[in-house]
Amino acid sequence: MDSSPATKAEETQDGTQSLPRAYLVRSERERLLEAMLRVAAAKGYEATTVKDVIEVAGVSEQTFKQMFADKESCFLEAYEAVFDVLLAHMSSAFEAAAGRPWPERVSAALGALVGLLSIEAGIARLSMVEVTAAGDDARARYRSALARFTPFLEEGRQYASQGEELPADTARFAIGGAASMIFDEIRAGRGPELTRILPDLVFAVLMPYIGPEAAEDEMRRVAREHTA
Amino acid sequence: MGKQAATKVRAGAEGTGAAGKVFPEAPTLRLVSSPKRQRILEGMLEAVGNAGYDSASVRMVLDQTGLYRQAFYDEFADKDACYLEALAYGVAKFEAIARAAAEPEESWRGKLRAGIGAVLDALDSDPAIGRALIVEVHAAGPEALQIRSEAMKRITDFIDSARNASTGTETPPPIAAEGIVAGMHAVVHAKLATGDSDGFRGLLPDFMYFAVLPYFGAEVAGTEMKAARA
Repeated sequence: MDSSPATKAEETQDGTQSLPRAYLVRSERERLLEAMLRVAAAKGYEATTVKDVIEVAGVSEQTFKQMFADKESCFLEAYEAVFDVLLAHMSSAFEAAAGRPWPERVSAALGALVGLLSIEAGIARLSMVEVTAAGDDARARYRSALARFTPFLEEGRQYASQGEELPADTARFAIGGAASMIFDEIRAGRGPELTRILPDLVFAVLMPYIGPEAAEDEMRRVAREHTA
Repeated sequence: MGKQAATKVRAGAEGTGAAGKVFPEAPTLRLVSSPKRQRILEGMLEAVGNAGYDSASVRMVLDQTGLYRQAFYDEFADKDACYLEALAYGVAKFEAIARAAAEPEESWRGKLRAGIGAVLDALDSDPAIGRALIVEVHAAGPEALQIRSEAMKRITDFIDSARNASTGTETPPPIAAEGIVAGMHAVVHAKLATGDSDGFRGLLPDFMYFAVLPYFGAEVAGTEMKAARA
């Protein structure tokens, strides 16, 4: 079964060709993950039922049970996938700005982040706000998801004038601060306009590394760029 | 009887949310009208801090306080109503601790150092309360989050007073204080949530660095950090 299922179409009872089983399995899983996100975004994680999710995904309950132990495990996997996408988005913005000063690259990554979050405001609300109410496991995922943003900031130590002396918690402080600001905006119902706080986020993330003056310069540059 | 109490509590909770003026200047603990009520509130914070909001039950509060079931329901409609008041109570208590420590200090930096230090000490001595107030608040619904936001706003306002008293040498953008409070909150939150709950006091030097930096620049911030380490 593991050999090369994707290459071999299977024959159904009435003789028509169906999609390869492995492909179906994967896409059913993806449909469930996406349905979980959409439903939980629309009605809240707690109110979401497995029945809602399988209906939206168009997948049988039996299939759901084969793939996930319960609602929570499905949610946690879907959640992880959200951060994969966010990080990929930020990484490519960060890389696309290679050669520019580090603060500008961080701004580019933050811009990509808030851009995507504002487009997917429902999922943003789910990933950044709802999740903190979804139990210890989900919260632990949230923290480790935030920790994945650390690499964008590590370079800041080399860039900062006294990087060696910066407090050990600098990255956590900067990321946590930004996440908390995003949390407040989304909670206040301003998720769809999240890009508005980009300059503020830029300042809050950069300030611990490069100090208030340089952070404010970059903040103003970003604000100009966005009004231009 | 229980119903009556419920109405009373709910009215109180609404006042907290809407006006945000329950503790206008110095937080008094006037929400707590009886020692029994106070015991229940403290028991609720312990229960939520130890078991988590969802798992905490009225039963745990009764075990904690040694009170009868009826005694609880005479005062509160249910767990949710009780926690909301316990949250406001706990927040007020932390603020009172910070204010008392900061009061004798003259300068903004002195007040900041003493106030944050006292709160960190309080977290060290009772991390369960810290978890009940800072971590579990997220599981308790919008009214609870509103109490949290208002508390953070008051801390933000204090920090930003560095610019008013013309003590600060820098004039950072308005967002600076909010970023500092959010950052400190995130570090404390992560520490409480992972159960790595000792050594909060050890965070003081870093917090002083981050809070002083936007108003006084890196040199003064570095000096503060070293002073707080000593």
